[in-house]
Amino acid sequence: MSGQSQSSVQTVVKPATVTHGTVATLKSPTRSQRLRYRTKVALREPTTIIGVLAAALFAYLIVVPIISMLSDAMRVQFGDERRIKQDVGELTWYYIDRVFLSRISHDLFWEPLVNTLSVAAGAITLSMLVGGTLAWLLSRTDMFGRRWFATALIVPYMLPAWTFALAWTTLFKNRTVGGQPGWLESIGFSPPDWLSYGQLPVTIILALHYSPFVILLFGNALRRFDSQLEDSARILGAGRLTVARKIIMPLMRPSLMSAMVLIFAKCLGEFGVPYVLGLPVNFDVLATSLYQNISSRQVGVGAVLAGAIMLIGIITITIDARLMREARRFVTIGSKGSMNRLSPLGILRLPATGFAALMFLLSVGLPIGTLFLSTVMRVPGQFNLDNFTLDYWIGTNLNTVALQTGILLSPDLWNAAWNSLRIVGVASITSGILGLLVGYVVARTPVKPLGTFLRQVTFLPYLVPGIAFAAAYLSLFAVPRGPIPALYGTTLILMLALIADQMPYASRAGIAAMTQLGKDPEEAAQIAGAGWFRRMISIVIPIQKGSLTTGILLPFISGIKGLSLFVVLAVPSTDVLTTYSLRLVDYHYTQAANAVVLIIAGLAYFGALLGQKLTKTNLAQGLGN
Amino acid sequence: MPKINLSGVEKNYGGNSANAVADLDLEIGDGEFMCLLGPSGCGKTTTLRMIAGLEHLTAGEIRVGQRVVDSVVDGVFVPPEKREMGLVFQSYALWPHLTIERNTDFGLRLRKMPKAEREQRVDQVMKTLGIEKYRDRYPSQLSGGQQQRVALARMLAVNPEVLLLDEPLSNLDAALRLEMRAELKRLHREFKTTIVFVTHDQWEAMTLATTIAVMSEGELQQVGTPNDIYERPANRFVAQFVGNPPINIVELGDGKSEVSQLANAYLGARFAELRDAGSIGIRPEAIRLADAERGVADGAVAGQAEVTGILPTGGSWIIELTAGGEKLFMTTHQSPEVEVGEAVTWWAKSKALHVFDKAGQRMEVADRLMRPAKLH
Ligand SMILES: Nc1ncnc2c1ncn2[C@@H]1O[C@H](COP(=O)(O)OP(=O)(O)OP(=O)(O)O)[C@@H](O)[C@H]1O
Ligand SMILES: [Mg+2]
Repeated sequence: MSGQSQSSVQTVVKPATVTHGTVATLKSPTRSQRLRYRTKVALREPTTIIGVLAAALFAYLIVVPIISMLSDAMRVQFGDERRIKQDVGELTWYYIDRVFLSRISHDLFWEPLVNTLSVAAGAITLSMLVGGTLAWLLSRTDMFGRRWFATALIVPYMLPAWTFALAWTTLFKNRTVGGQPGWLESIGFSPPDWLSYGQLPVTIILALHYSPFVILLFGNALRRFDSQLEDSARILGAGRLTVARKIIMPLMRPSLMSAMVLIFAKCLGEFGVPYVLGLPVNFDVLATSLYQNISSRQVGVGAVLAGAIMLIGIITITIDARLMREARRFVTIGSKGSMNRLSPLGILRLPATGFAALMFLLSVGLPIGTLFLSTVMRVPGQFNLDNFTLDYWIGTNLNTVALQTGILLSPDLWNAAWNSLRIVGVASITSGILGLLVGYVVARTPVKPLGTFLRQVTFLPYLVPGIAFAAAYLSLFAVPRGPIPALYGTTLILMLALIADQMPYASRAGIAAMTQLGKDPEEAAQIAGAGWFRRMISIVIPIQKGSLTTGILLPFISGIKGLSLFVVLAVPSTDVLTTYSLRLVDYHYTQAANAVVLIIAGLAYFGALLGQKLTKTNLAQGLGN
Repeated sequence: MPKINLSGVEKNYGGNSANAVADLDLEIGDGEFMCLLGPSGCGKTTTLRMIAGLEHLTAGEIRVGQRVVDSVVDGVFVPPEKREMGLVFQSYALWPHLTIERNTDFGLRLRKMPKAEREQRVDQVMKTLGIEKYRDRYPSQLSGGQQQRVALARMLAVNPEVLLLDEPLSNLDAALRLEMRAELKRLHREFKTTIVFVTHDQWEAMTLATTIAVMSEGELQQVGTPNDIYERPANRFVAQFVGNPPINIVELGDGKSEVSQLANAYLGARFAELRDAGSIGIRPEAIRLADAERGVADGAVAGQAEVTGILPTGGSWIIELTAGGEKLFMTTHQSPEVEVGEAVTWWAKSKALHVFDKAGQRMEVADRLMRPAKLH
């Protein structure tokens, strides 16, 4: 307690004549002296230099490709001179006109757009219904086995989405496409096209794949929701319905909206599912339309499409950011007295559990089971003992054109697996470390604009769906530019694209970790006499070991199961597991493709489990990428 | 020879903010135990961090011994790791991934001290601070007080010539605080280190420091021995910041209140030189009550008041007096013989008066006039 609490302290007091020591006051420094001094302080530590280098690196890896792609959309591309009647490189509206206004704009853009929107709308509705119900059952009722289901029902999201697509074709494929028939076909029932391909299956699969989003986001909101709020309204005389409408819904809206927006953004960039299920009936979404234009070397048109996808993505994420801010306003409501009461389900307890179990079967058991069975059966759908075989896994001298051994004996698989591990591994480790460095610079640099730039530039890829980002990479690195040789067809381009694509997550993790750590431990080391490098090695990195592990593992898992980035940039010699299995699908080696997808699913799933063990956290929540 | 010398030091964190530290001139002598004292946000931590080199200057110069370690004009900046100082953070900032022993010998390892010598040194420091039992534990397994000792041990191990401490006791409970204070004082004697100690607790400053520097809003108010600061506060801010219960301030200018008129009359009648005085301060313990045997002392200022409150503080009492709406606080170590509601006569000796001019500065002339016997 000191006298300062007394109000009369406010009196303005001039500094006293200092009685202790006499010092000639120095003349105040000039502007240039200040500048020299500050530069000296800033450059003494590598932080600023690292920051500048990182900023340059990310500008090159993230900004330049996007700009290059956008400029492709406005310039005459090689091979189009005749048609456009302008020279290569001149400014033109041709591609924009072609995509949005020309006769073929319907096929190129508008129909894929409508398809994308309607698939997304369907998937959102369905996943809201299913995921919302499950979220409520899991978090607010006395359903049986809630703990187990809480983990089990998230599993679909850990598997690559097109696992489901392949399972679907395995079951429902009809004669429209060559290769092995589906199970239904082979037992004599021919499914119609609308059931086998196109909108319906794509919608259902995306809904199943993304309902874990709803379970997580909506479930969290429900868990945080304070039953006392409900009670107070009831005490004031509100009926059950009024409470639901006036209290619960408004508070839940941000999390529901946010889940919707995220699912939409994911659907927008989703390539594998519509590719596998849409191609046979020419059902195109924006991502597949973009892919087809890129693979037929329609660079200009591809750039316009990618730009359009990017724009929609940016709008969506902006909306999401708004909603999250709104949601944060509500979060404080779940106060200390927060409690949540479980509603007894009564006689519905068993049926509700049955529903959850059914959803698990449909979204995990059935697809994985189907895929697995398909790889050990000669003729699809026939359950005779002699129909079973391990040939597709480990057989030799098979009677096929290209793939004459079981998949595990094929050097191509091991090559692809090695590529996957190498590319994704290197990219994840690099982006994890870069993320920590970005976090370090953002938290430490005295040059504030540098931190801001780094934060924003590393966030940029988040706004761009993977396939559009890949298109941007193709545009920049397909040809040699200056000292950089053409990188298309190398593993380096895949690594670079993947690093850039993972930076949003990596840098967000790094910034969070470094901000949380604060300056003190490092400054203490500095005082003790440790230079910058020593502090990094002995203090910063060891303390951040945990978050670095997560920062590497999460991108690794999502990279292993990622497809849309690779499908544009990989060539057969740089195949990763995902593109390899897609190639097998294209060649109608159904069993082999399914086997590869199972391997990927296994890697992703056990990777996630391992991560969970290592970091003792629920990784499923962080798998939003 | 002064150990640390700050001249014209200024710090602005940028933006439109006011100076966190403005035009600071301060000398810290060799072996001194200097306390930086001031209310929250007055720039104590900033000053300490500038001395350590963790914060750069906006203007000014810092010297340690003969060496210029920081100068804006000359473009000199010696980084913290080269200043050979010790700094104990308010948060302790122990390294969570290292054991207590490794925390303590970190600096010695950096200095590449031979193993045997290092171990001996660490043993010695850990013993001194009583943490040798915990050498293999991690910081998270220690209590706040134990962590604080480790933070100290870590700095003492390298035997720095200057030890900077930023409110190191503020996270401790009262008993531990007392113990650590004694310990710090002992360490100061034993290691003969120059210590700069930041606190906003006047009691802590009074008991520990050889010299106190009082700061307010980035500006240095007074530097002096604890006694100086208390007995001869350089201005109203210092007078009011130091002392508990706080000093009674009587405004002279308006003459509206009863006490004010009284004081005006008292000063005016005796000392023509003090006609410009703006206010006077009377410490609570300087106020006495007149009783039957002993009336008002000769030449004392005195007045009538009503007792409006008696607050026992354990062994002493705070008595609240009200005179014409104005409150005066006094303390006494004798059980008060008055009761609430009683009318009393209070008085204070003239040499106990602190006279401030209209700008709030101490009027030295008043001291010469009223404290002739006690020259400083
Ligand atoms: N990093 C910073 N950026 C901007 N302003 C700052 C920063 N650090 C401190 N300040 C400001 O400078 C002033 C002095 O701060 P300082 O931390 O030195 O106060 P203090 O005397 O140590 O206070 P306390 O007793 O609360 O620790 C305050 O007004 C504070 O808001
Ligand atoms: Mg402070």
